[in-house]
Amino acid sequence: MNKTALKTAVAGVALLSMMGWAQAETVRVTVAEYSSKTGPYFEEAAKAFEEANPDADIQIEVVPWDVLLQKLTTDISGGANADLSIIGTRWLIDFVDQGIAAPLDDHMTQDFKDRFFPVFLEPSVMQEKTYGLPIAASARAMYYNKALFEQAGIEEVPDTWDALAEAAEKIGALGDDIAGFGLQGKEIETDVYFYYAFWAYGGQLVEEDGTSGLDTDAGYKAAEMYKSLIDSGATQPGVTSYNREDVQNLFKQGKVGMMITAPFLSNQIKEEAPDLEYGVAAIPAGPDGDRGTYGVTDSIIMFENSQNKELAWKFLDQLFTTEWRAKFTSGEGFLPVNPEVAEQPAFADNADLKEFTALLPDARFAPVIAGWEEIAATTSDAVQTIYLGNGEPKATLDAAAEEINGILGN
Amino acid sequence: MIRSPLTNPYVLILPGFLLAAFIILWPLYQLGTISLNDVNRFGQLRGFNGVENYVAVFTDPDFLGALWRTFIWTGGIVFGTLIVSIPVAMILNEDFYGRSLARVIIMLPWAVSLTMTAIVWRWALNGESGMLNSGLQGIGLIDQNIQWLARASTAFPVQIMIGILVTIPFTTTIFLGGLSSIPDDLYEAAKLEGASRWQTFREITLPLMKPFLNISIVLNMIYVFNSFPIIWATTQGGPANSTDILVTYLYKLGFRFGKLGEASALSVMMFVLLLAFTILYVALAMRRERT
Repeated sequence: MNKTALKTAVAGVALLSMMGWAQAETVRVTVAEYSSKTGPYFEEAAKAFEEANPDADIQIEVVPWDVLLQKLTTDISGGANADLSIIGTRWLIDFVDQGIAAPLDDHMTQDFKDRFFPVFLEPSVMQEKTYGLPIAASARAMYYNKALFEQAGIEEVPDTWDALAEAAEKIGALGDDIAGFGLQGKEIETDVYFYYAFWAYGGQLVEEDGTSGLDTDAGYKAAEMYKSLIDSGATQPGVTSYNREDVQNLFKQGKVGMMITAPFLSNQIKEEAPDLEYGVAAIPAGPDGDRGTYGVTDSIIMFENSQNKELAWKFLDQLFTTEWRAKFTSGEGFLPVNPEVAEQPAFADNADLKEFTALLPDARFAPVIAGWEEIAATTSDAVQTIYLGNGEPKATLDAAAEEINGILGN
Repeated sequence: MIRSPLTNPYVLILPGFLLAAFIILWPLYQLGTISLNDVNRFGQLRGFNGVENYVAVFTDPDFLGALWRTFIWTGGIVFGTLIVSIPVAMILNEDFYGRSLARVIIMLPWAVSLTMTAIVWRWALNGESGMLNSGLQGIGLIDQNIQWLARASTAFPVQIMIGILVTIPFTTTIFLGGLSSIPDDLYEAAKLEGASRWQTFREITLPLMKPFLNISIVLNMIYVFNSFPIIWATTQGGPANSTDILVTYLYKLGFRFGKLGEASALSVMMFVLLLAFTILYVALAMRRERT
């Protein structure tokens, strides 16, 4: 076949396939299933979009959160990924480094940017380009059980970790199956539960010289404090068999005095334990007044190999209008990422949410480091070892810090 | 006898071989390639790097722990199942009232997906609201809740026990087949000679059951070695990797940490290990049978 013939053939094929697209442009979207409302919400959004754009075909794939990264890995290695996908923002760096996520700046107008609180847009900006839009945002605060506080004669909600320890012991003494402080010791975010105290004692996950901050006084003190809570019976027994949901269940049953978790617990209590009297307060501060909450955002990204970037962007544009954002945010129990949504009475007058938003200036996001998941797992292993009493806090954290430094490349 | 080339045995097994090759050999080849390359977290190859991935797996302290636990796990379940299944099969082989119902009850766990069983056990093992603790308290065996999954010393034995429980139906089925193939007159003759029950079992049942014992050991070894759901659903290999076996460790390596190169290297090693063990066992069993 000579060159001209080849060119004609290629052009012909290209033309044919373009005609194919013109009939119905398909945009596939992978979404994480946050709750049973996620799937229906996105289906509804897709339907509304298709009505406004008759040529478009939006296909929604709902994936359980636990297997999302696994699915994306498999899809990408097989070249079968969707056009848009929700990802944990802490994974974004890997997607950007490997050239898998597409920068969105060309599509974003100033007007579009103004729809967001800057603090939530920032984590997905890398090398001065925006690679993701915050689809979900969450922070952590302390939930406390008012009835148990009253029984134990505690009048003030603890604002420091010392006060928390004291209150937890009093509540723990109320009964065998009552725990003062619910401590998570298993599965995802076990490390984060440790960071709450670690940050309060002034710790930093990654020090300024680029090494792990676990082998500092803040780390030792936080670990010793948690360990002494376990030893004095102020926590539930067997903390390493409780993941976040397990501790939340104990709280809903009224068996836990205090625990730290995300805004969605309020929604769950409303539905499952409406009689529970609880309050939401700031995460306690350390001796020097430091405190930190864990800020988490999930981003929606566009893939670099997407064939329909324009249409995909149009769908994103619809998702981030105030109407659709309000619906999503209230359904899932996340924090509003858009000022206009936050001003709506449903959010502005919600006392629980206010506590969370008040903490946002102290919010720390997972550091943007390749290999963060491995560092988190190493930290979780170390704190589990300490909780079990299988290792001294200092020695265990020193060993973990050394391992993390290896991952960080020091 | 002159055969048509079309009925040549090699030609006849060719379609089956091609299918097997497509399902087994091709992924194995892919796995081998990935394991010898530098791979990014999305499985895209970034250049040949020799045995670096294998070295990285070997030098990981968690690897040796997981390897050791895999042996305990596999051995514990395979032999535990054997010891429980033989009497169960022998009882079910007797003629008694309600035998068909008893058989159904023994087989029932087989019908439930392994993951489902494991999740139910996770609930049952919950320290505060689990059925196991309240049951044990009810019959007065313990007076305080045991946090089964909080540490490896209680979690791992319980996981092995669940493993035994779910392996029993399959093994019992094999044994029932074996028992029904033993002719009754052998037992009658033994009875006439005045053999005790134990003697009958040792001298007649066990030797004649040997091929069935061997096949159940080999098959169970293959299934259990690679069994993921029980450990993952109950502890995810924790706390602090203390209940990890090679498969759960492999999953973390591949899909949590995104080290697909090392994960592939580990997969290849597991494949070779399992193959070696199976061949060794089959060879030993066959030699014993011949002598």
